[in-house]
Amino acid sequence: MAANWYSAPAPVARRVRGYFAPVNRATQTPVLFDPAQQGGFNLDAPPAPWISLGWIQEFQRKPGSKSTPVLAGIPAGTLEQVRETLQAQVSFQFLSWTKLTMALATGSQHLNLLAPASGAVAEANGAQASPAVTPQSGSSPVSILLSVADAATFAPGSIIALDVDYTGQTGFVGAPIAGAYVRQALTDVDYVRRITFNVALVSQVNSSGLVLSESLPGGAPAAGAKLQAVTGFVDREGGSFYQEWSALFVMQGSQGERILFHYPRLQTMASAEEMAIPLDGKNKSGQARVLLKGQYLALPVTDPLDGEHVVCYRSFLPAANALL
Amino acid sequence: MQNAKDSFYVALRTRLTTINPERTILLRGTVRPGILVEEAEAPFSQLPNDVFILRWQGLGVDMDLDSTMAAAECEILYQTCGTQSFGGLDRGRSLSAMDEELVAMLQPFYTPKFNYTATPPAAMLTQVFWDEPGLGPIVVQRDRLSRSAEVMVYSYQEQGE
Repeated sequence: MAANWYSAPAPVARRVRGYFAPVNRATQTPVLFDPAQQGGFNLDAPPAPWISLGWIQEFQRKPGSKSTPVLAGIPAGTLEQVRETLQAQVSFQFLSWTKLTMALATGSQHLNLLAPASGAVAEANGAQASPAVTPQSGSSPVSILLSVADAATFAPGSIIALDVDYTGQTGFVGAPIAGAYVRQALTDVDYVRRITFNVALVSQVNSSGLVLSESLPGGAPAAGAKLQAVTGFVDREGGSFYQEWSALFVMQGSQGERILFHYPRLQTMASAEEMAIPLDGKNKSGQARVLLKGQYLALPVTDPLDGEHVVCYRSFLPAANALL
Repeated sequence: MQNAKDSFYVALRTRLTTINPERTILLRGTVRPGILVEEAEAPFSQLPNDVFILRWQGLGVDMDLDSTMAAAECEILYQTCGTQSFGGLDRGRSLSAMDEELVAMLQPFYTPKFNYTATPPAAMLTQVFWDEPGLGPIVVQRDRLSRSAEVMVYSYQEQGE
């Protein structure tokens, strides 16, 4: 059995696909991506817990690590180099506005606008919310069982947030995705549902409850979880919380080769910023696509292979039959 | 893209009936609002006067979005010789009136997308939207004044399209 081969030039790729997975903030545990086992994954169906954020553009990697020479002799000559600092930055633009892309492109907490209670006092983050309802046992990630009366308060097309009541906990709040860090106990019983990433669109309402258009990121409702309607999202300029996620970026080459960039820990390093890109290059004042811009600082992890501190893994999976 | 093209045309036609119900055309034995799609009619030896003619031209797609976006270039042509009662001396005014009607028809710059192959037409999930028109210069051909406007029409492809 034999194989022919060819000499492959530099990869040719179009845009970049982005995938994110939540870092466990309490234990500082990132999500690791194994390119040997998972590198050939279907780009439309990433392995759990990676979440596809679709195509991104203007993807730029900016290494910030600095080396310095160790000098010896007279006159001094470079004996060797040592790595003085370890740092890298990543920036890109998201091509969609979703709960997750908005959160990733803001420098702080990302809040759900809970449907307000009747007559509630106006608040910048959304007024006091309507009372939450409790899912019944037997609910699943795509089907929320409710009493007939509770189900009637929702309509197809509603957005829901599902999470536990806030009961005074401090530290990182939200599981499995931490959405905020609470320094002092708060009084808002709905706070966890304000910052939760466990949101979904209701596709159908029937007498037994709600059918969701896609699975809840947090899976089936946990014990004590409650449900509230969401009218939109809000984030703020300021605050002390930094989003931190594991990230994976994939460039698919024209010959089937694949370049993967895995950042175990990325923290947002800039506040919310948008870019307006004209849809028609010949008409700069016409319709423009408003893109979310994300800028991130890569934080180091210790590679268990050899104890080295690293911020990014770049993998290359060559095209079939390409010479190496 | 056909649903978007149909929705754009029907939106403009509906708006025209409000803006100027007097602008009509007798076509295939039926009096209709004075706007038509060139590719949906028998070929014209000469374009009719005093009506808006939609001519679909370039097409582009952006497939890197969560929903593919299509952009279709629509040329809207119109011409006039003025009215007989004024001996055609009002042709400049007639063209200005059509300019104003066109700009009014295009606002607001969006309309719900419908599938007009269904009876009754089926509402879809997204909207068709477009840019401001790029109005070309007046072209004079003896006693006829004509103008064309270019509008880029955008829509997102939905499931089943």
